[in-house]
Amino acid sequence: MAMVDTGQLRLHVQRMSPPDGRPVTATAVLVHGLLTDSLASYYFTLAPPFALAGIDVVMYDLRGHGRSARPATGYTLDDNIDDLEALLDRLDVTGPVHLVGNSYGGTVAFGYAARHPERAASVSLIESEPATDAWAPKLGNILDRVLHELAHNEDDAIAWISANRGHNTARLARGAAKLARETSLSQDIPASGVLTENQIRAVRCPVLGVYGGDSDLALLAPWLQSVLPDCRTVVVPGHEHSVLVEAAGTVGGHILSLIQEASAPEAVEVAVR
Amino acid sequence: MTPTTEDTVLADLTGMLTALLEDEYGVDDVEITMTTTFNRDLELESIDLVTLAGLLQEHYGTKVNFAEFLAGMEFDEIIELTVGRLVEYVVQSLKAAEAG
Repeated sequence: MAMVDTGQLRLHVQRMSPPDGRPVTATAVLVHGLLTDSLASYYFTLAPPFALAGIDVVMYDLRGHGRSARPATGYTLDDNIDDLEALLDRLDVTGPVHLVGNSYGGTVAFGYAARHPERAASVSLIESEPATDAWAPKLGNILDRVLHELAHNEDDAIAWISANRGHNTARLARGAAKLARETSLSQDIPASGVLTENQIRAVRCPVLGVYGGDSDLALLAPWLQSVLPDCRTVVVPGHEHSVLVEAAGTVGGHILSLIQEASAPEAVEVAVR
Repeated sequence: MTPTTEDTVLADLTGMLTALLEDEYGVDDVEITMTTTFNRDLELESIDLVTLAGLLQEHYGTKVNFAEFLAGMEFDEIIELTVGRLVEYVVQSLKAAEAG
């Protein structure tokens, strides 16, 4: 296990490189979602095929999650973007990278691209959106609802989840409740600074949005395409918010195409001519 | 060199899992057999499987690629994964590497 000290805290990082000394054609940085998520969601899904395709894959656990340190405070979106920036500086991965984010991880990835457009080769948002005025209260409400129900009577809530959603989901919920109890995450996230529409428009690299057809977030696809200069979206029918782990092959295929296209712009331009 | 058999690989995996459970959860009295499931019986989380992938790589080198093995599975298959299925995969990978 690789722990990297960013100067602020220790983050758990995993890197998967192209096998057998094959040349690296691009670097991708994968950012996971909130509460129940960790870098494992990528390690066993997108990372192996990406590495085989010649991509140097960097994955890390957000603060408070997985094996990374869990400070009591510092969970705003900007704190998470600061962590990502410090980590990539520490790893010396400062050239343009392909950012991939699942759910809240996509909001972090997009925020990093907005802060450093020169460091973003592309952004792939899986069931995710940039931080807008509407985003912060919406996420705050979801966090409130989930955590209020868990905090009200955790044992009953976990028993209900176990009976209706299975043992694994119940255990994940217990972990989420613990994270919320031990940290200021549920207060910090809704209090996060957000981006203006001009700041969102300033992300000029190629952006891909991937959504589950049965997810409310799929409704964002047309807006995302209208606001960003270079954006395409894909809706995967029959899936909800967990489309990354449930349809990893499909999701990974779309992201890989974007990365390969964006990594070889000259070649594509020549081919088009 | 000890020949690779299911028994030797099960012994290797038992050692890795025992160390992982003790390091992460302070648990030191778990019985591990071929039918033990990672999720339900050992209560391992997916991030623990990342740690296990690292331990497997340390022990067997690049001959055994746990991440690729799981990446080829459906989500439900991973939830139901047994130690025995991993043992079979490791034996198969090691034999393929010897033959190749």
